[in-house]
Amino acid sequence: METNNIFNIRRLYLLIRRQLLSNATALLIAFGAVAGSLLVISLFVAYFQPANLAGLTGLYFTVMFIGGYIFTSNIFAELHQSQRSYQYLTLPVSITERVLSAWILTAVVFPLIAILSMALIVFIANLVMNFTFDMEPFQSVFSPLSWAAIKVYVVTQSVFLLGAAYFRKNNFLKTVLSLFVISMVIQAILALSAWAIFSPLSETGGIQIGPQHMSEQMERLFLNYIPSVARIIFWYLFAPFFLVVTWFSLKERQV
Amino acid sequence: MVQIENLSFGYTRKQTLFDQLVLELKPGYIYGLLGKNGAGKTTLLKVIAGLVFPREGRSVVSGYESRQRVPACLEDICLIPEEYHMPSIRIDRYVSLNAPFYKRFDHDKLAWLMKEFQLQSAQKLNQLSFGQKKKFLLAFGLSTSARLLLMDEPTNGLDIPSKSQFRRVIAASLTDEQSVVISTHQVRDLETLIDPVIIIDEGKIIFQQGLEQISSALAFETIPEIKENFQPIYYEEGLGGYTAILPNIKGKDTKMDLELLFNGVIANTRGINHAFKS
Repeated sequence: METNNIFNIRRLYLLIRRQLLSNATALLIAFGAVAGSLLVISLFVAYFQPANLAGLTGLYFTVMFIGGYIFTSNIFAELHQSQRSYQYLTLPVSITERVLSAWILTAVVFPLIAILSMALIVFIANLVMNFTFDMEPFQSVFSPLSWAAIKVYVVTQSVFLLGAAYFRKNNFLKTVLSLFVISMVIQAILALSAWAIFSPLSETGGIQIGPQHMSEQMERLFLNYIPSVARIIFWYLFAPFFLVVTWFSLKERQV
Repeated sequence: MVQIENLSFGYTRKQTLFDQLVLELKPGYIYGLLGKNGAGKTTLLKVIAGLVFPREGRSVVSGYESRQRVPACLEDICLIPEEYHMPSIRIDRYVSLNAPFYKRFDHDKLAWLMKEFQLQSAQKLNQLSFGQKKKFLLAFGLSTSARLLLMDEPTNGLDIPSKSQFRRVIAASLTDEQSVVISTHQVRDLETLIDPVIIIDEGKIIFQQGLEQISSALAFETIPEIKENFQPIYYEEGLGGYTAILPNIKGKDTKMDLELLFNGVIANTRGINHAFKS
């Protein structure tokens, strides 16, 4: 039977399985430590300040985001260790399967496990609250806001996936630093553009703008067109772009 | 099996390790890849495995360019490096996680090799000694049924009985479809195993001959003195005379000394290669 060199579902499954089970101990320890800490915090809050229990959802999602970004940043750890990289790179799988397996683990499996763990922690904390104070349970983690947060995570983690493939050491910190530098550059470009566009319209030569400086077309551009385009770019193009760049980064990777 | 066409490679822009290197490896042979330290033996294995990319030219394995790292090509390559890290998992877990990637993986052969090397499937890989890890990698590599086995200094870290066990296992488990490239500087460990011999120096293949050709073209002899009117192609002073490489004009059957041959090729490449032409 001829080997499909681009994609094979069995190889993808085997790669995901290999990735998970090879690092099972480390993953379980990290998961146990984080989930255990959150459970203890939740139980303390449920017992001592039950009214504040609902406020913990923010903490859960903050931990999920940071934990997910760190997990994503280390997903290609095998690739960056000189004595292990040969094993990973000579494994008979395609680049598409390497990227997809990493994406499935970090963008699908991780948030799924995270949300289920959160639900379990909330359930246990609710039980404590109910039994101790006979209070109404607070809202579940399965709220529209939670789903929106997960969607944002799935999109933004693709940047950390690229960082995981591109950087050889300290992937998480280097990705955060790169994002900071890039955001500074973009802000500087936007500020300069705003100055170039609006300073001729302003009496003082500054960039303070008001409705009197905007034509109807300009208003439509800034209030409708640009936000719509930004939304489309963020939700539909951002993650695929970074996945494609990750693919090329892995393709060109040498030991 | 492997075609290397006009390969140029360097780790930096200024430094060139290989320049227009050409090499063809056929199935059914155990190639000995010899060279001085830094000659590029390990790098050549990495190029063939697709782990580093040529600056110019290409390396083709089983019809696929190595640098593309396509699954069909990788199924046919097994690299056993000199230094490696083993995960903190049991042997049987490692096998169950990695063997399914190789369609032709031979579990019976693995069981035989594990028994031969006295390895237990319940042993943890990171708790094995260096030599045991190497034996396991060798057992796994041979069981993948890859058509091309690339071994970098395979006898390093093996004790004396293990070295002969290594030679026996390699000789017994290879098929005519497979070829092996062994990069080594410990030529004495492998001189009964390798055929043909490839020597690289300064980025080029300076010698490539089979044992039969070497034996018929060159004679390895111990001579009491070096006469002015009869200069060997290469000689080294030893106890009780000189060990020398001579043109085998009379068709003598002498025992080949691979270390002497290597030193001879490095010192007098033209002289040694000339003996094959004449």
